[in-house]
Amino acid sequence: MTIQPQIELLSVNKHYGGFHALKDINVTIPKGSFVALVGPSGCGKSTLLRSLAGLESISGGEIRITGKAVNDTPPRHRDVAMVFQSYALYPHMSVRDNMSYSMRLRKASRAEIDAAVADVAAILGLGDYLDRKPNALSGGQRQRVAMGRAIIRNPKVFLFDEPLSNLDAALRVHMRKEIRALHDRIGATSVYVTHDQIEAMTMADHVVVLKSGVVEQQGAPLSLYDTPATKFVAGFIGSPAMNFVGGIVGDTGRAVTLDLPGAPSLPLARTMEPRRQVDVGLRPEHLSIETGGAPGIETTATSVESTGSVTYLYCGGDPEIVVVLSERERISQGDPVNLTIAPDKIHLFDPETGAALR
Amino acid sequence: MRSRRLLNGYPKMKRLLSSVTDGKGFDILLVSLPLLFLLAFSGLPLLYNVLMSFQEVDIFSLGRLIRPFIGLDNYRELFAAPEFWPIMWNTMLFVVCSIAGQFTLGLALALFFDTGFRGSSFLRGLFLVSWVMPGLVVGAIWNWILSGDFGVLNYLLTSSGLISENIFWRSDVDYSLWAVVLANIWLGTSFNMILLSVGLAGIPKDLYEASELDGANILQRFSTITLPMMRSTIGAVISLGLIFTLQQFDLFAAITSGGPANSSNVAQYWAWELSFRQYDFAKGATVSTLMIITVMIAAVLYVRSTRHEVRI
Repeated sequence: MTIQPQIELLSVNKHYGGFHALKDINVTIPKGSFVALVGPSGCGKSTLLRSLAGLESISGGEIRITGKAVNDTPPRHRDVAMVFQSYALYPHMSVRDNMSYSMRLRKASRAEIDAAVADVAAILGLGDYLDRKPNALSGGQRQRVAMGRAIIRNPKVFLFDEPLSNLDAALRVHMRKEIRALHDRIGATSVYVTHDQIEAMTMADHVVVLKSGVVEQQGAPLSLYDTPATKFVAGFIGSPAMNFVGGIVGDTGRAVTLDLPGAPSLPLARTMEPRRQVDVGLRPEHLSIETGGAPGIETTATSVESTGSVTYLYCGGDPEIVVVLSERERISQGDPVNLTIAPDKIHLFDPETGAALR
Repeated sequence: MRSRRLLNGYPKMKRLLSSVTDGKGFDILLVSLPLLFLLAFSGLPLLYNVLMSFQEVDIFSLGRLIRPFIGLDNYRELFAAPEFWPIMWNTMLFVVCSIAGQFTLGLALALFFDTGFRGSSFLRGLFLVSWVMPGLVVGAIWNWILSGDFGVLNYLLTSSGLISENIFWRSDVDYSLWAVVLANIWLGTSFNMILLSVGLAGIPKDLYEASELDGANILQRFSTITLPMMRSTIGAVISLGLIFTLQQFDLFAAITSGGPANSSNVAQYWAWELSFRQYDFAKGATVSTLMIITVMIAAVLYVRSTRHEVRI
């Protein structure tokens, strides 16, 4: 049995006057999956979401929901629910009326509404707040009401537009788990826009990385981390961000010489075209300190930050190399360090196109 | 700094100066100036007016404050006057129809300009021209428009076949009040539009998007989002409209002078007529006092409606 795609975006294009906001977007979202659209601000992720909702019209391509093209379908007939960044709660209505708004519009019976509101309120723990107005709620509670308003409709698709960005850090971590749990519980199909790669990585089954209106890469979260297709994705996914150093492949093609003081050379796990210019990507958490005599990157620690669980080491200057150590190391500012990395953890990118070299 | 040094020997002056520079007491000074002004030029005349409505006033006792007290005689006589109820009815018609017209047109225009087409804010600004014009000028313009023989309104109505013979708007007892209502609607529409535009602009756009996704069509969005979110603005506009309409004097003076046969006379014009045409100052004051009560009720409604604003 093939899984029926719930949403298909087929070479979707969007122009704002002369500005090309979305360029040939192709994404297929299977039923029941949680997809994150992630990218820096201005990359088109919100535009894509709003196009899915029908709040923006697209200039080219096709959007299909359960196999049906919805390009010309107004938002209210698309059967999608959206949680807005601002929550967009109706300030003049109580929590109960906010959540039951869609039901009241389609003239559902009083009993039906009461039952549905009670159900959703129980799921979200809003039972005590049903008669309050939104301005008497905390940020987290408002967020839940916004979710409740979406859940009560039992739509084909849930759309989330950076729903956690107005919450404080602790609540954000909590709500991220809660949203994912809710998604699994009601078996929904969700599209989630965020600029926070951690949210995307932790919540989604499938991550779509956008940059300047182009899909840079899409796939399972860990595949983006392990095998980024471009230098942009490599730098965007992972925290702290990947270190990039210019370099040149050695004569044998089995090592790369870094463009750093002392021209350190790192062995490669595969054979590359000799004497090729490359950008070398080293994840901070893959670097370690070599205490034996093996050759590595000889540099000095310019700054050391210890959080207790991990230690952030900032080395050298141009470019600075960040190292994350999970063991406590007795290194202080100014100490010389020798950094090494497993050959198969080295990422190489074309300096011109940014494409990964494999 | 220099002034401080100069005042070193004068502690009292120093304290006075520092009360201004520190802001202590300065706020009270700022408030007291307009309050004094209001008291002198609005409060006292108001009280004097109320006082007069309980006194016997004639042209000889006009200069005195102490005059024979006659209780509610003025009110009794006024209520018994044959023109009292027709004029009150005219006043109510004038107020209700003017506000209804101003508000409906103002809201329609505000919604129209809120679509944000090219040049919409420029055009919206142009509409304010009608509001900055003095009532007497507006009256003069409408005199020409409404003129029975050569008025452009009659021309439009006859050439479009709506009427077969000219209507003498200003001198026909059936039309004279409506002539003023028409002019007053024209005069007040732009003010309604501007206030309602501000109210519309204050509604976050994502509420409309959310309700659209929730399944609301355009009429449902209007009735469940626009109108309730505009509640306080609408309350303010209607209360202010009531106050302004009850103050509307110029148009009556310019267009019909309350005639013919009181057919377009309203309370505010009648009060002036009683006082300054018939020199019955006590009766004029009595009509004014009745109007003060009405306006005060409107003012309370206005303050209440602005206090009940929906916070987001």
